Amino acid sequence: MNAGARREFRAAGTDLSERRRSGVSTGEVIDLVATPETRAMLWAADGGVTIGAAMTVAAIAAEPRISLAYAGLGAAAAGLATPQIRGVATLGGNLAQRSRCWYYRNPSIPCFKKGASRCPARAGNHLYGVVFDLGPCVAPHPSTLAAALLAYEARVNTDRRADIGIETLLGDGRDGKADHALLNDEIITSVKLPPPLDGERALYRRATGRAQAEWPLVEIVARLVIAAGSIVQLRLTAGGVAPVPLRLLDAEAAAQGAPASARTIADCAAAATVKANPLPMTGYKLALLRGLVRDALERLLA
Amino acid sequence: MGTVAVNGRLETLPEDAEVLLVDFVRGRLGLTGTKLACGSGVCGACTLLLDGAPVVSCLMPAKAVAGKSIITIEGIGASGLHPVQRAFMAGDALQCGFCTPGFIVEAVAFHDRWRREKGTRAPSTAEIGAALAGHLCRCGAYANILRTVAEACAGRFDGEATTSPRLEARDKVTGAAHYTVDVRHDGQLEGCILRARVAHARIDALDLRPALRLPGVAAAIPLIDKDCTVRYVGQQIAAVAAADRRTAHAALAAIAATFSPLPAAIGPDAARAPGAAIAFGSRGALANASEGPILPVRWRGNLRGPSAAFSFRARRARRWVRAARRAADPYLVEGSFHTAVQQHTALEPHAAVARFDGDRLTLHVSTQAVSHVQSEIAKRLALDQSKIRVVAQHVGGGFGAKGALGSEALVAIKLARAARAPVRVAFDRHEELSVAGYRPGARIDLALLPARDGSLKALSLTAYADTGASVNSTIAGLGRLIYPAKAKYLADFDVVSNLPPAAPFRGPGGPPMAFALEQAIDEAALRLKIDPIVLRQRWDPNPNRQRLYAWAAGREVWRKTAARNGRFCKGVGVAAGYWLYLWQPGAKVELAVRNGRLVVSTAVQDIGTGSRSVLAQALADAFGLDPQEIDVRIGDSALPQGPPSTGSRTTASILPPTLIAAEELKRGIARRVKRPAIGSNAPWRERIAACPDFSVSAVRRDDAPPASRDIRSPLADAGPIGRVFAWMMRRFAHLAVGAGVPSSVQVVEVEVDTLLGHVRVDKVHTGIAVGRLAAPVLAHSQAAGAVIQGIGYALYEGREVDPSTGDILTAGLEDYRIPGIADTPSIEVHFDEAGFDHVLGGGVGVGEVATIPTAAAIANAVRNAIGVRPTEIPIRADRLLALLQGTTQ
Repeated sequence: MNAGARREFRAAGTDLSERRRSGVSTGEVIDLVATPETRAMLWAADGGVTIGAAMTVAAIAAEPRISLAYAGLGAAAAGLATPQIRGVATLGGNLAQRSRCWYYRNPSIPCFKKGASRCPARAGNHLYGVVFDLGPCVAPHPSTLAAALLAYEARVNTDRRADIGIETLLGDGRDGKADHALLNDEIITSVKLPPPLDGERALYRRATGRAQAEWPLVEIVARLVIAAGSIVQLRLTAGGVAPVPLRLLDAEAAAQGAPASARTIADCAAAATVKANPLPMTGYKLALLRGLVRDALERLLA
Repeated sequence: MGTVAVNGRLETLPEDAEVLLVDFVRGRLGLTGTKLACGSGVCGACTLLLDGAPVVSCLMPAKAVAGKSIITIEGIGASGLHPVQRAFMAGDALQCGFCTPGFIVEAVAFHDRWRREKGTRAPSTAEIGAALAGHLCRCGAYANILRTVAEACAGRFDGEATTSPRLEARDKVTGAAHYTVDVRHDGQLEGCILRARVAHARIDALDLRPALRLPGVAAAIPLIDKDCTVRYVGQQIAAVAAADRRTAHAALAAIAATFSPLPAAIGPDAARAPGAAIAFGSRGALANASEGPILPVRWRGNLRGPSAAFSFRARRARRWVRAARRAADPYLVEGSFHTAVQQHTALEPHAAVARFDGDRLTLHVSTQAVSHVQSEIAKRLALDQSKIRVVAQHVGGGFGAKGALGSEALVAIKLARAARAPVRVAFDRHEELSVAGYRPGARIDLALLPARDGSLKALSLTAYADTGASVNSTIAGLGRLIYPAKAKYLADFDVVSNLPPAAPFRGPGGPPMAFALEQAIDEAALRLKIDPIVLRQRWDPNPNRQRLYAWAAGREVWRKTAARNGRFCKGVGVAAGYWLYLWQPGAKVELAVRNGRLVVSTAVQDIGTGSRSVLAQALADAFGLDPQEIDVRIGDSALPQGPPSTGSRTTASILPPTLIAAEELKRGIARRVKRPAIGSNAPWRERIAACPDFSVSAVRRDDAPPASRDIRSPLADAGPIGRVFAWMMRRFAHLAVGAGVPSSVQVVEVEVDTLLGHVRVDKVHTGIAVGRLAAPVLAHSQAAGAVIQGIGYALYEGREVDPSTGDILTAGLEDYRIPGIADTPSIEVHFDEAGFDHVLGGGVGVGEVATIPTAAAIANAVRNAIGVRPTEIPIRADRLLALLQGTTQ
């Protein structure tokens, strides 16, 4: 079956409507009906929170308790897309949105995500492509919130499965066909964040060409706990660099137990890209990724 | 069945889940103030209020608004203008006006929330920029938008007073202004075009019958050239007219076409490679990438050129450069500069609505040239010109891409004829960003050689333009008209390939020429250890620019030195620009008294530059009236023949005959009505009111000779070719080259983030000499907008192509990145109003000259900041990081 003819769910339609207009999506559309549960934000006694999938990005960004406990998520929600999009786009829709690849979005070009056997961007123009080449498709994952939620080790509830890790939902990037590992007709209902770490500081940073309203070239979420001048824990995730939001495990390891110093920052930045395998046109994203790691850690340590 | 309250009226929503809110509001409800421009939620032109919150209606399913309340732009101004609307009007925060309703809706929501929460404290530029980030303005009205929204929030427009320097501003801020895309006749059909998906192929068969069999399809026509060959992805093959867009698309999908693929050459590198496929066998059909006449030039494979007529002692120039290279002359500046393809992407797409009443054709078309389009249609379709009426009341931007008769108009006419019904053809953003024209990209090889005595000895410029399916780019040739040297070799090549054709774009050839040449001047100054402004003062004798150099040297920032402070480096750069002063011989203006009011008529059009206001202001000044008291009739080919709005010729073509006609009208009024009693403070108002109807008209004639020999056309300094070129322009393009050189000098301050490869333009000081300003506030707006477009050219904009298929990948406003409001620097506009006293009215056009030096000045500022010269635009992160890698990191 033509991949475009698959049935799709519609929340606010901010991703789907453009693909309907262009003809990339041609299958049946089922409108999701928000329920009190999917619209709610429930705080647990342990300090964690469950966010309904129908909550808008703007509502997440505007929630002071999110900014306090999950600063990286709050800033990511405030920084993505445009005010009008954030006002209607939902958490679930953001996680399940499709790739922004300019080949995928062109209805007349076959590609891996549309059922073809090859990725035209790989041999073609992949200026905004990945630097961690993990699968057959070289488009980076589009979801900024997914990168943030990965940093917070979020758990996802769907209408069929409970408490699956966000990394399971996103997959490992090897699939290439889909942008997530949702089953056919499976719907995200809520996302649960464990309580923040004691004394953690977090932020979200992005590298873009223009000042506002642009898909990031590279984006990063960093969470940091320092005690007695040493880094107790660093959690780093990056978007724009791989077919899935990526945890930067080598950079995290380089920080573990290290002194909060310029040297450590430099080590972390260098470690962020050791496993990268950029494409011919994407080498610049290595410098951006290292630069963002440095920028984020300098700010967190300041 | 759901309902929704729209501007307080209950409306029934469509059942169809596919209908988007923008189509419901515009199509079903006829509320056309809401505009559709990008179709992907990027530009915000379709923004309306949903339960008080701004949303983009192009992505919102109509059924999702059931039970809610919508306010469109029409609802916002309904019971008296909102302070934001008054602020936009007074502060001229708009030009073509197509994005304006969206901006107003968003700014109203921001303003109302701000006032509730913060009172009348003015928001910061950053706060407004973040709030309005979901809107794009291609004219670049951002600086005025930022200022006026702040003023509205501060309560400065809470009163009732509404004034505007722009005559039609009220219609544009209320959504009442009708553009071509808004025209809807009874029984009007939607026309759509089938486009090729291959870059080069022979069309073997085309069967339109399956399309015609579909219900709702009224016409299907072939659009194949005589040689049955497709030469680029997106080339038109056929068109259909159907009841609505969706039916039309289904009909296009039903058309059966078979192709035999031919080898293709995609892009300049492939086209120049050994053994490249010949992109164009028959070269006669190639489009014109510029506004100049096409001369016969040599071809080698896909390479057309050199066109080197503007050279001067060419062999000597090349010999001197070779000798200097051999001798390793330290002052010889050599380099290769690369500029990207820049798309016009006016927010109103190319659009036309054709309607026949018997054998009379009325064509609404988004055009820069109603009179020209009328005569071209008569020629192309063998129609009687007197039976063709071309109308363009409001035009949502053009920038050169709408200066000729386009396929959208021809297709609409043919479909209307075939379907026997009115037909609208409106390009979608993909068409607009792929097949609707662009400024060619270029590689420019440059050598500049100062002499031992510090004068300019030789200049060699060779430009290879990426023109796709078109020819006649002139970049290097423009190097003749500035910086006189002892010898110049100036060669232009077109690299033709299987990509869509280029079109003239705001100062065709100027910005890429300046990007190379102005950086070379800057580099020469560094080598000679001379201030770059001082070197220009020495090498560039033009009197207009001499005054601007003195002004630029006086900017305080110019005396500062570059500050490199770790990650962030600040720099300042300067560049000069010029353009030709062009005017339209025979442009005609009619002035009349009708029912006691002054009426001015000419078939010019207002593409956002302000020709309406120029006419009204000139007459208001002449008669001591308020501009709003003048009835201005433009945008209709039935009026006396006006000039196209291209080549910065509009003001200089319509203002002089208007002033002549005004004097004649005064004499006529004086004969008909006695002078009122002494003491009246508006004598002409009373006499006009009392005057019986009559009219006079005047045509544009040659200027008086300038007072000084220094004031001359730059072509006068270009030897015989200059005179030939001027003659040809007048003979074949009906365009006269006047005396005096419209000039600009810009000083730009940037900050470079060396860690993340990002350039931010902090301040732009733009000095412009185009004589006296006919409408000063509007000229200021245009000059500031030109800077914004120049920033886009320098930093963000570039077409990307798939190298194997020839598909345009940057075919949406998400991927083709034009500047946003948050990228707006502080802009200082300085007008030097001397230099054009020989022109009646004292001034000429500003549109092109104002954008030419911007990218070059930014590049020079980046060089100043980081010590490395960016020779390729756009200066994206990947390029800047690569430059920096060679130095500091």
